[in-house]
This record gives sequence, structure tokens and C-alpha cells, in this order.
Amino acid sequence: MSEKTSFWLTWLSELEKIFKDKEVLLVVFGGLIFYALLYPLPYKENVPGQQAIAVVDYDRTHLARQLIRMADATPQVRVAAHPASFAEAEALLASGEVHGLLVIPQFFERDVYLGQPTHLSFAGDASYFLIYGNVVEGLLTAAVTLTVQTQVVSSLMKGENPALIPGQVMPMQMKTIPVFNPTSGYISYVVPAVFVLILHQTLLIAAGSLTIKDRARRKLGLQKSPLLLTLPMRLINFVIIYLLFAMIYFGFFFQLYGIPHAANPIELLALSMLFFFSTTLFAIWLGYLLPRPELAIVVVLVTSLPIVFTGGFVWPVESLPKWIDIISYVFPAKAGIQGFLSINQMAAPFSSILREIGILLGLCIFYGTWLLFRVHADQKLSENQY
Amino acid sequence: MTAAKSWSGWQALKDHPWLAALVIFLPPLSALLFIAIFASGTPHKLPVGVVDLDHTSESRLLIRKLDAHPSLDMRHPFTSATEGGDALHRGEVYALLIIPSDFGKDLRRSTSPKTSAFYNSQYLLAGKFISSALMQTSMSFSAEIGVALRLGQGYSLPEATSAAAPVQPQITALYNAGMSYALFLVTSITPAVWQILIVASTLLALCWRLERAPLSNNYASRVSEILQLLLPIALILWLQGILFLAFYYLFLGWSPEDNVLWIVLAMALKVLAIQSVGTLILSLVGNKISAFSLSSAYLAPAFAFMGMTFPRGDMNSLAQFWGNLMPSTHFMELQVAVADHGAPLLTFLPSLGWLAVFSLLLPFAIYRLPSQLEVNMKERISL
Repeated sequence: MSEKTSFWLTWLSELEKIFKDKEVLLVVFGGLIFYALLYPLPYKENVPGQQAIAVVDYDRTHLARQLIRMADATPQVRVAAHPASFAEAEALLASGEVHGLLVIPQFFERDVYLGQPTHLSFAGDASYFLIYGNVVEGLLTAAVTLTVQTQVVSSLMKGENPALIPGQVMPMQMKTIPVFNPTSGYISYVVPAVFVLILHQTLLIAAGSLTIKDRARRKLGLQKSPLLLTLPMRLINFVIIYLLFAMIYFGFFFQLYGIPHAANPIELLALSMLFFFSTTLFAIWLGYLLPRPELAIVVVLVTSLPIVFTGGFVWPVESLPKWIDIISYVFPAKAGIQGFLSINQMAAPFSSILREIGILLGLCIFYGTWLLFRVHADQKLSENQY
Repeated sequence: MTAAKSWSGWQALKDHPWLAALVIFLPPLSALLFIAIFASGTPHKLPVGVVDLDHTSESRLLIRKLDAHPSLDMRHPFTSATEGGDALHRGEVYALLIIPSDFGKDLRRSTSPKTSAFYNSQYLLAGKFISSALMQTSMSFSAEIGVALRLGQGYSLPEATSAAAPVQPQITALYNAGMSYALFLVTSITPAVWQILIVASTLLALCWRLERAPLSNNYASRVSEILQLLLPIALILWLQGILFLAFYYLFLGWSPEDNVLWIVLAMALKVLAIQSVGTLILSLVGNKISAFSLSSAYLAPAFAFMGMTFPRGDMNSLAQFWGNLMPSTHFMELQVAVADHGAPLLTFLPSLGWLAVFSLLLPFAIYRLPSQLEVNMKERISL
């Protein structure tokens, strides 16, 4: 057999391993489409809506009612109940009917107009942080707006210099502005990172389990193509298939979910290619470590949540214990997520992800060299057998 | 053959190191891993860039004040907004504060100068955290300056204090007073991880059993064979659940409002529920790898559907429906109701009911289960 035919035959047999294996097809083609539709599903509304709160109004004055109306008008909260007592309000919180509480003390209006300090009590359900944040933000906005109004009125009534009033009411202002994800939407926050993880995890299952099956057949003598030719081809096949899916993910699905994408296509392609090279090498390496194909799925299942929470997009890497931060780079997903978020979501120049590129290259070299040694050892072993 | 005895779950654990790892070692290790990940409790000293165009004692005072906040690290000065903006794009800082020129002068002239902070909302949690730290700190800075200004205008100290902040909001974080992310996230992630370990171990145990000896064709003895296999594993996994509660208590300062035994009961129901759906999936597809694939498609995203991060009330009905199909969703509802809210039984009874319903699938699943799985040595290196 000529060199050339053996080359094409090996390539064909590698392709066949992918396209004739129902389990691999299920994961790659079924899994990738299913997850792309399923994962964003909880966040379709994108930003949490108005959270129900209860108001205990011990004052029952015009100003108190004005405060309640202002709170109700904020996009973060809606007033859903007016319990007569604090105990009643607590019961509503316990049953989860409301997630926040505003208590307006007696003599609220009188104290405000007399210029005596008075307290407003807010409470939010911190069992759910996003709900809590919203409740507090909404109530604070209402309280600050009301305070500013009353301060302006009382300053004017005292006959103070109008030019000084802005500084008296609010000596300085701080405006915080979200960038890269201007609506602070959950889809744009979670999906770009999780999509990278989905590509990574399905690739681990597919290329990992395929490698394990191939090893099994080789052990039985049913597969004889030289590994030094087979493995690079397997690598290239998976990289090409996954590049197609990367286009569907970062192109079609990002468009579908209205996720901003800033990277230029060439840079995105370059990073994707490197990411899939290192992930496939990692997958094949896992395939040489694990004895049975289902264990590749077990590894993926068990590592998914640790990757999410060490990946830096939920919990800042600065707040991770150093050793966890370093160890978690063994998964190409971590450098991949950070690289993709930087260039595609945060519009960073390619030069700013050199660290991530370096890590992915390093992982390629590490897993690649390990595999070379492994293949070499296997070949020696089989030579000795015959 | 002493079939019934040697095919128990205990034997499976002895025989199958992977199963033993999933059931015995990984539950406590993964709980401890997440406790370590969130050990700082709240995000700590996040880098924030500063463009100070004013350079007065007032602007430096504001920066010092912000830097004193435990979550902010303001020691990243930039000379221009462009330079600072680049650092924000490159992810070197999570936010960029711009103090306008004349900040100090406007402060003294009482014309309410405006500072802007751009925060990275791609990293939503860190971004929002910084945003609220900046807001809160600048409000208290503002109140102090307000008092100073009024003193300068001839007010007495008590007058100045009350005029500067006439309405003082008192904010209470119910059920998690310290607003600890560790408490919030570890107590919601661990049940999701545990669920994954339960379903994976169920499938591994069933495959171990069905690849080694056929199940009986008699339904009653088949039920007893499966129960002998799964119940010992369920017992250990349930004890692991109780161990999680001990970890929460020891490391996170967790203290349940209501009787913790409700959670312990729900944990038992949850283990049985997940074992039942795992068995059902294998019985429906009849193939080992497909069963693993489908189980991961079904339960790997469970954390997102539990509603701890993004509220369930704001999900669409399809997402709520999918969430309802997962035992973890009902378990978390119960855990929040019992441990945090101290809610009455009536509130969490439906969650208990849901958890129990999953186990009703087990009899059917056992009936449908293939009596044997073929061992294909073309697909595996070892048994």
C-alpha cells in the first residue's frame, strides 16, 4: 500500500469513527444543539422583574403614601401587600409571598418636615441575592428621591441661597454605569461563558470516549493504523467539526439571543482553533487515562460546576484561593472562557489575551508531549508482543 | 450461586473503585472544594482604576475612603480616561472611576459635582458588587461632607447632622445577615453537585450489576435485587448529605431557622428520587452510554434551573416546567423555606410531595429495565 492511500484510508477510518458512532453523534450534534437551546432558557426574561414587597405603614400620612407610590414606580419592586403589623409581614416573607419589606415609622412625615432625623427600615430576602439586590436598589432609589425632594422644599422654606441647595441636598454624586453588558442582562452574562464550557465538555466526551473505544479495538488487534498518523487526524477532524459549531454558537446563537460580539472574525477563529486544539488533546489524553467510555461522561459531569465557579466569570479570580486558581487552569475551558470573554464581549485587543494564548499553547504542549510518550511506549509494547 | 447476596450495593462499592469514589470520597471533597473556593465570603479587594483629573485634597480623600472599603482596591491610577478605558477593556480593572476636574472646588462651592464609575457588567457579580460598594461609600462620604459644609455655613453640629441626612435608611439582609456569598452559593451548589454524583453512581452501579449477571425475570425478585443494589448506596449518599449540613454549620456559620430534620427527610427523598430517575433513564434507553449522556443532558444544568441565582418567578413557563422535572429544584425550595425562612409546614409540603413523587417511577423503571447489559470488549479496556 502506498504511503498516500494509507494516509487517506486512515483519515476515512477516523471520520467513520465519528460519523458511525451513534453515541458520539448524539453528544456532538444532538448535545450541542440541545444545550444551546436549553441553557439560556431560564434567562429568557434577561433581567429580573419587579419583586413583590410588603409595606408596613405606621404613619399613614400623605408623605408616607408618596414614598409607597415612589417605591411601586421603580422598575425593581412592586408593592404587593399592606400588612397591618410587623408579625403579619414576617409571615408573608416566610411563605415566600413577598421578598422585601418597607417599614415606615410613626411620625415619619412630621419628623421629616421638622428636620428631625428619622429612620426607614428596609429588609430584603437575602436567601436570593439577585432578589435582595433588586429590592434594596428599588427601595433606596425611592427613599433617596423622596429625601431630595423634602430637603429642597425645606431649604427653600428656610430661605436659603438657592445656589447652595444642590450641594446641601447631595454634596457629591456618584453615577455608576454598566459597560460591556449595558442592560446587565443575565443572558449576556451567563451564555457567552457557558457556551465555551459546553463546547469544551461535549468535546471531552466525544473525543475522549472515541479514543477509549479505539484503544479497546487496538488491544483486540482490530485496529492497526499507526497512531502517529491516527491521532493527529483525529485531532484535526474534531477541530474542524468544532470550528463549524463555534460559528453556529458565536454566530447564529449569539445573534438569536441578542448577545453583543465584538471580536473580529479572524481573531475569533484563531482563538477558537487554538482552544479546540488544546481541548481535543486534553480529551484524547483523558481517553488514554480512562478505561471505559462512560467514565469520560462521569468526569465531565463532576467537573462542570467546579469549572463554572473557578472560571472567573462568576466569582472573581482575585477572590479565589491561589492554589485553586492555578490548578483550575489544567482545564482548557478556563483560559478559553477568559480569552473569549475578553475579545468577544469586552472588545479587548488580541494583544491583551497573550496570557490566555500562552496557557492554551502550554496545555497543547503538555498534553501533546504526554501523548507522544504514551504512543511511543505503546508501540514498543506491541513490538515486543510479536 | 449465592446471587442475591454477592450482588448487593456493598459488593459493588468494594468491586468498583469509580463507584466508591463517587459515593464515598467525592461528596465531601466537592463540598469542601466549594467551601474553599468561596472562603473569602465576599469578593475581596477588587481592582478599580482611578482617573483623578482634580488632584485636590478632596478627591484624594474620596479615593482613600473608597479604598478603605474591604471589596475595593483603588490603587490603580491612570492619567487619562482613554488609558483607564483600555485597562477596563483588557480586564485589568473591574471598574474605572473618573473624578472630574474642579471636583474639590465644586464640593466647596456646594454645586454637587458628579463623578462617574464605569463597571464591567460582563462579570456581573463582581461588577454589581463594585457598583454598590462605590454607591454606598460615596453616600456616606457625601453625608460627612454635607455636615462639614453646613458647619461652615454656621449650623450647629446636631442641626448639621440631621439636615445632611434627614432620612436614614436601615437595611437588613434577612436570613443571611452578613450577605456571605459563601453561605449563599455553597448551600445551593452542593445540592446540585450531590445530585450529579447520585445519578452517576446509580448508573455505574446498575451497569456493574447488569453486566455481570442477568436480573431475575420474576418481578418481585427483580425488585429485591435492585433494592439490594441501590439502597446501601442510597444510605451512604444520604449520610453524605447530612455531612454537608455539618460542613455548612462548621465552616459557614449556617444555622437553620426551623427543624433541620425536615431537610434530613427531604435529603432521603431526594436520593431515592434521583436513583429512580436514573434507573428510569437506563430502562428507557437500554444502553449504557446513552443513559449517561441523557442523564447529563438532563441534570448537568440543574443549578441554573433551581432559581437561586436567577429567580424562578422571573423564568418563563417552559423553564419553570423543566426546573420542576429536577429533584434539586424542589429540594432547594424546601431548604430555603426550612433553613432560611422558617416557614410553616404548609409552605414546603408541596416540595416534599414532589420529591416523593419521583420515587413512584422506580417500580415501573425496574419492570422495564433490561435484564442484562452486553459487555462489549470492543469498547472498553477493562471490565
